[in-house]
Amino acid sequence: MDVYQLDDLTKLQQHLLTQFHLYQVINNDDEQYAWQQQTKEGNDPLIAKLPQSSAKDFFFAEHETLLIFNGEYFQETLPTPKPFVLFGVLSCDLTAISYQDQFFKDDPYYQARRQQCLLVGLDCIHPCQQGFCPTVDAGPGVREHSADIILHPLDNQQWLVITTNDKGNEAIKGLALTTSHWHLLTQRDLVLHRCEQDFPDNTYLTRAIDKLNTGDIKDTFWQQLAVQCLGCSGCTTLCPTCSCYGTRSIPVESIQEEEKKHIQQERFWDSCLYEGFQREASFHNPSSDAGKRVQRFWQHKFGNEFFTEFNRHGCVGCGRCEQTCPGVIGVHSVMKRINSDA
Amino acid sequence: MLNHIPDTLKIVDYIDDGELARHYQFQLVNIKNSSEKNSDKELQNNTAEHNWQDAQPGQFFMLNVPSIGEAAFTFTEPPNAKGEFRALIRQMGKLTSTLFTLPKGEILGARGPFGRGWPLEKIAKQNIIIIAGGCGLAPLVNLINGLTDNQADDSVANQQVVLIYGAQNKQAQLLTTERNRWQQQIKIYSTLDEVDDQYTLGDNESQGTPIDIIDTALASFTRPATIALLCGPEIMMHSAAKQLVKNGIASDAIFLAIERRMHCGVGLCGHCYLNEHFVCKNGPTFSWQELP
Repeated sequence: MDVYQLDDLTKLQQHLLTQFHLYQVINNDDEQYAWQQQTKEGNDPLIAKLPQSSAKDFFFAEHETLLIFNGEYFQETLPTPKPFVLFGVLSCDLTAISYQDQFFKDDPYYQARRQQCLLVGLDCIHPCQQGFCPTVDAGPGVREHSADIILHPLDNQQWLVITTNDKGNEAIKGLALTTSHWHLLTQRDLVLHRCEQDFPDNTYLTRAIDKLNTGDIKDTFWQQLAVQCLGCSGCTTLCPTCSCYGTRSIPVESIQEEEKKHIQQERFWDSCLYEGFQREASFHNPSSDAGKRVQRFWQHKFGNEFFTEFNRHGCVGCGRCEQTCPGVIGVHSVMKRINSDA
Repeated sequence: MLNHIPDTLKIVDYIDDGELARHYQFQLVNIKNSSEKNSDKELQNNTAEHNWQDAQPGQFFMLNVPSIGEAAFTFTEPPNAKGEFRALIRQMGKLTSTLFTLPKGEILGARGPFGRGWPLEKIAKQNIIIIAGGCGLAPLVNLINGLTDNQADDSVANQQVVLIYGAQNKQAQLLTTERNRWQQQIKIYSTLDEVDDQYTLGDNESQGTPIDIIDTALASFTRPATIALLCGPEIMMHSAAKQLVKNGIASDAIFLAIERRMHCGVGLCGHCYLNEHFVCKNGPTFSWQELP
């Protein structure tokens, strides 16, 4: 780990832009925070805001072609992205990327993108509105293993730049940086600690997680909750750790008429909350009960049975599900109701 | 890295069996021969990449019907050195309905073998009760073929195997040729949910479900059955497992083959979840103890 001090973040952005495509969160015309590509001609200032969509689409694409069948055999269609930087990813989303790195460790499509990416993390020094990253060990400070470079804002418009591995060191090579005093790392710890303390009391979350894992929540509770699930897939789309997908075959217009018809197989984000997610060709449906589907979703995010595989919960505390759910059964609402009604 | 790309195979032949079911014979095109290396690029693209020779009874493969997509099927005969294998397929949804229209020689794709098959080590030399419903007999064909072949072998001649096969009615029964062959070696009870007034039930044939006949079948063992293998509708398997436990068979000696919708077969797409398990990767065979 190397620690530097930087007076002007633009220098780092411009330096990275010479080697990478660079994406950053901006406040767009619709007043939404979204990932957008930056250019050398003028990059936006860095903002510490949670984007509406997490970064998962950069690696696990919402739609992507897996293969093409040319009438004779099947050809892999691996993506070949140029090296890119995600600049200023917040800790919750970085934790989710680590989680998906593990889940997709043997998936060639995911890895083809992931290996081209440099992750520049950004410490949160103030709690966000719906977030509860400290409760699920996902923030507010960027975990060393989850980013190649960590940025931390200092009081005097200065920045701490922390490289955590060779990839990070390589990326800043040639940039004039001042080696920082180690006491600034202690200051960082203090700021992050203070930020953690500024989060509202979230003990109801821990209590609900415990209750979920003791298994004494009745089926009727989930059924009542599921009445409010519209099956819109808002939560699974925005959840940075959700990874279910479907596949479909699409005919491709052939270039020459005499050519055999090409068929393309693609995968796309799916949702375990859709009624038909597990429906089989025989119409037998193991999860036809909406209560069961809702229960499974929350169990997947907080159940101890999944903890061992990933060494953490599936939820990273970003709060996007609460923000997006039109039925008001996002994480805060559900956890509160587990405490009061279940 | 996981390989999502199907190997090419062609439909060699098919033969109807029962209502809307067919035995398909497939052959993988250019199955890998370890002694040869293809230098021809075209051929390289078209060489079978999956480890087909490793297929175990109870494992499955993903059949790719290019215009439709992929679905999971079990082998009734695993791939041989020439890449030929068989599967019993029932016409059910879009993919199988399309498959049933395709002529011999048509090019399709396949990935596999996938999943955890029947626990061969655990069942060796044990007395086994097998309970299958309808199409659920398909994942057991390969295994029963092996067990009945064994019966001729003196060293394991003491192993007793009894099969209960349930079907909706006489027309829905599958694998008649195979069952007639097995009958020479093992005891088979058949149950039919529905029986025509004109129909006379045969020996060891009764009206009802396999559950009704479990006690009788267990009583027919000269030494008690110690292993149970189940495949069929989930609700039937659950009732059967409970009945077997009541009869003193340990829950870790009862194995169920679970069916789920699958898109990937390699533990990624999420469709086949069963609690914390993925049926494609952790199953499709589970012990009753592993299930809630």
